[in-house]
Amino acid sequence: MVTGRALSAREDTGVDLTVELCGIPLATPLIPAAGTLSKEALGEVKGVYGTMLPKTVTPRSRAGNPPPRIAEVSSGMVNSIGLQNPGLDRFLKDLDDYDVGLPLFVSVAADTVGEFAAMCERIAGEERVSAVELNLSCPNVKHGGLQFCAGPGTVREVVAACRGALSEKPLFVKLTNEGVVSNAMAAEAAGADAVTVINTIPALVVDSRERKVFLRGGLSGPAIKPVALRVVYEVSRAVEVPVIGVGGVTSGADVVEFMLAGAAAVQVGAGSFVREPREMLEEFAAYLRQNGLRARDLNGALTEL
Amino acid sequence: MKLHAVEVLERERFGDHTLLRYRWTGSPPEPGQFMMVRTADSLQALDPFLSRPFFAHDYDDEVVSLLFEIRSRGTALLSEEDTNLFVSEPLGRGYTLINGGPVALVGGGVWVSPLKLLAKHLVRSGIAHDVYLEIPSTAPEAYAAWISENYPDAILVRTDAAPGAPQAVLDSIGNLSRYASLYASGPVPMLNAVKRLSEGTVPAQLALRERMACADGSCYGCAVPLWRDGARAYARACVDGPIFPAEVLAW
Repeated sequence: MVTGRALSAREDTGVDLTVELCGIPLATPLIPAAGTLSKEALGEVKGVYGTMLPKTVTPRSRAGNPPPRIAEVSSGMVNSIGLQNPGLDRFLKDLDDYDVGLPLFVSVAADTVGEFAAMCERIAGEERVSAVELNLSCPNVKHGGLQFCAGPGTVREVVAACRGALSEKPLFVKLTNEGVVSNAMAAEAAGADAVTVINTIPALVVDSRERKVFLRGGLSGPAIKPVALRVVYEVSRAVEVPVIGVGGVTSGADVVEFMLAGAAAVQVGAGSFVREPREMLEEFAAYLRQNGLRARDLNGALTEL
Repeated sequence: MKLHAVEVLERERFGDHTLLRYRWTGSPPEPGQFMMVRTADSLQALDPFLSRPFFAHDYDDEVVSLLFEIRSRGTALLSEEDTNLFVSEPLGRGYTLINGGPVALVGGGVWVSPLKLLAKHLVRSGIAHDVYLEIPSTAPEAYAAWISENYPDAILVRTDAAPGAPQAVLDSIGNLSRYASLYASGPVPMLNAVKRLSEGTVPAQLALRERMACADGSCYGCAVPLWRDGARAYARACVDGPIFPAEVLAW
C-alpha cells in the first residue's frame, strides 16, 4: 500500500523517488535495516522509508545477550545484541504497532530449518505482511552452530523450505559477505525473490588493558561500506533477482552509490543512529533533481572501468 | 537521531573534567534525562562514529550544562575550544519526585552530574533533602575543589578506597529510614550498595550509565538486567531508563 503521506514526499522533492521491489511499489528506495528502527522511534521517519522492517523475530522470545552489547570502533560499531525479541506470537499480536501506512516486511530467524519454515507458514496467512526477509546470520543448532549462511548447502536447504511454506509472498534472503556470491546464487536457485547484502561482518573487539575479549559481534557503519558496495556489485551480476543493498549508508550519495552498483533498494542501519534518514533522502532527491533522473534509473547504471 | 546545532557558551576545565554550557531553547531537560552529544566535525567525518550520552547536569534560563570526564578521543574532542556542538533533545525517563518527607541524594565521581538539576527541582517542589557526595582519593584536586564549590550544602566524603568503594559514603548517611526516598548516581559498586541497603527500608532510584548507539530504543545496545513478571529480562537504559527503581534491577 502506498499512502498519501508517502506520495507527498515525491511532491515535496519534485523528483520520482519510487521504485518497485518484487512487485511491491515503494514510495522511496530506503528501508530500515532490521533491528535499527523500533516502535519508539517510528514517528521520526514517516515519509522517509518505502517500507517498514521491524527487528528480527524468532519462534520464541529471546532475552538477548548480557552487556556489553556494543562497542565503538573506527568509523563504525560492533554489536552483539543476541536477537532480543518477544517471539513470534507476541510480535504478530502487536503487528499493528508497525502500521505506518507502508508495506511491512518481516525479518525472521530460527535455530533450525524446520523452525524457519514453520514461522514462514504462520506469516504466509498474515495479510498485513508484504514480504519476509530471512536473517541467515544466526547459528544452525542442528549443524554444530555454524551460521545458516556459512555455505550454499544450508542456504539452499533453508530457503527452499521457507519458499514452500510462504506460498506467494516475496521471500528475501539476507546474507553476510563471506562466500556471498555462491550463497546468493543458492538462494536464488532455491526460490528467493531478492537477496539483501550485506549483514554485519563478524568482528572482534579486544580490551588490551584487561587482556580479554571485550566483544565478539558484527561490524556495521561506514567502515563496511566499501565491502558492501563490492558485494552488491558482484551479486547483482551473478543473480537475476533484485538486490537490496545495505552496509554503512550514511548519506544520499551512499544511496546513489549502492543503487548504481546494482541495488534496487537500500537499507539504512547504524547510519540512522548518527544522522537523520530524512536528510539522506533529501540528499538523494537533490542528486536525482540535479541529474534529471528518477530513482529507478540508477539501478545498476554503472559504467565499467 | 535528530541533532541540533547549539551555541556553546562556556567550557570550563578542572582536572580531567569538563563543564560545558550551551544555549538550549527546546524542551527543558528533566532531572535524570540525558542528551546525545557530538562535535560538528564528527558529524561531518562520522568518526568518532557514535554520539555520546551525557546527563543534564543543570538547566537555567535556556542554558544547559553537561559535566563529563575526559576519557578518550570522543570526550577529548568535545572538550576542545571552538568546537561546534550538536545535541539531541533531552531523552529518557528521569527521576520521579516523591513528596513524602526528606530525601537523600547520593553521588560519587563524575556521576554526581544529574544530582545538581535534581536538587534544584526538589527545592522548587519544597522537598527537603541532604546531599552526600563521595570524592575518591584518586580525584584531581581541581575536581574536588569544584565539587565543594558547586555543592556547598553537600556532605563530602573523602575516601582512600578505590573509586566507587561504596561503604564510606553510605556509612556517613547513617540510618536510611529517616529518609522518604533515595536518589543515587554513582559508580556501579555504589549503586549496588544503595540498592542492597535500601531494600525493604526506603525506595531508591538509581541513575544508570550505559554505552549507547541509537538512544531511541531501536538498537537494544544499552541493556539493563531487571526483573519483569518474575523473570530476568533486559530493559533499555535509553527509553526505559536511565533512572530505574532499585528494586527492579536484577544485579
